Amino acid sequence: MRIRLAALLFATAVSVLAAEPTPAPPNAYLYIGWPNDGQVVSSGKPIRVWFGLRNMGVAPKGVKFPNTGHHHLLIDTDAPGPGVEIPNDRNHLHFGAGETETMIELPPGRHTLQLVMGDDQHVTFDPSVQSKKITITVK
Amino acid sequence: MRKTIVLILSAVVLQAVPVLARTPSPENAQVYFIWPSDGMVVGHAFWVRMGLRNMGVAPKGTDIAKTGHHHLLIDIDLPENMDQAVPNDRNHLHFGAGETEARIELPPGSHTLQLLLADKDHIPHDPPVYSKKITVTVK
Repeated sequence: MRIRLAALLFATAVSVLAAEPTPAPPNAYLYIGWPNDGQVVSSGKPIRVWFGLRNMGVAPKGVKFPNTGHHHLLIDTDAPGPGVEIPNDRNHLHFGAGETETMIELPPGRHTLQLVMGDDQHVTFDPSVQSKKITITVK
Repeated sequence: MRKTIVLILSAVVLQAVPVLARTPSPENAQVYFIWPSDGMVVGHAFWVRMGLRNMGVAPKGTDIAKTGHHHLLIDIDLPENMDQAVPNDRNHLHFGAGETEARIELPPGSHTLQLLLADKDHIPHDPPVYSKKITVTVK
């Protein structure tokens, strides 16, 4: 009896720890509407980045609503895999207020941009909903 | 004594007013069409991309400041009464799941499109946040 209880507790603990990632909505499609891949932009002037999303909706962080998430813009870094909490730093910009575009300013040089959706807890979907990684040049 | 009562009453009335008021919109909030643009000729089925600045997208029923969800008005003027929920019919498409793009099919001819943002209860903000009304020709 005691063993069974322990096993039950262990199973519960494991299922809590290894919570399943939120499944991605079918056909969800995330893309950067602007700038274009390979685009050259002028330095010293902020550029607008458009977040394109199809077959899925936007919800602010903390909001649990079916088939929604919020945008994260990854700058000069690789996307995490599915079921990973997206870091919050200068390479991972969070848009937890439901924003669908932003203005960024980057130093001269080549930079990569990529969008990744996070769920209400900033965790990536399974499979991860992410855009193509694009490269822009700031001149 | 009478003065006190008047003061108390006016205090009660003043407190009651915000409850009746519409959801305030952030300063500089702007909703606009990323696509299509005004005067464009489009096929019978096309994607409408809804742009929003200085404000976020949230699904219906979400009570978070500075958010709202998109409504697409087709071949119709803005509602006269902005204190009421946006109608839900073939001229007023609701995007209560936080969508920022929609695939639209329209019969051939000239059509007007306009975006109107509304709060958790589908009631436009104060002041209302709406786009320019654009015209597209479906070939």
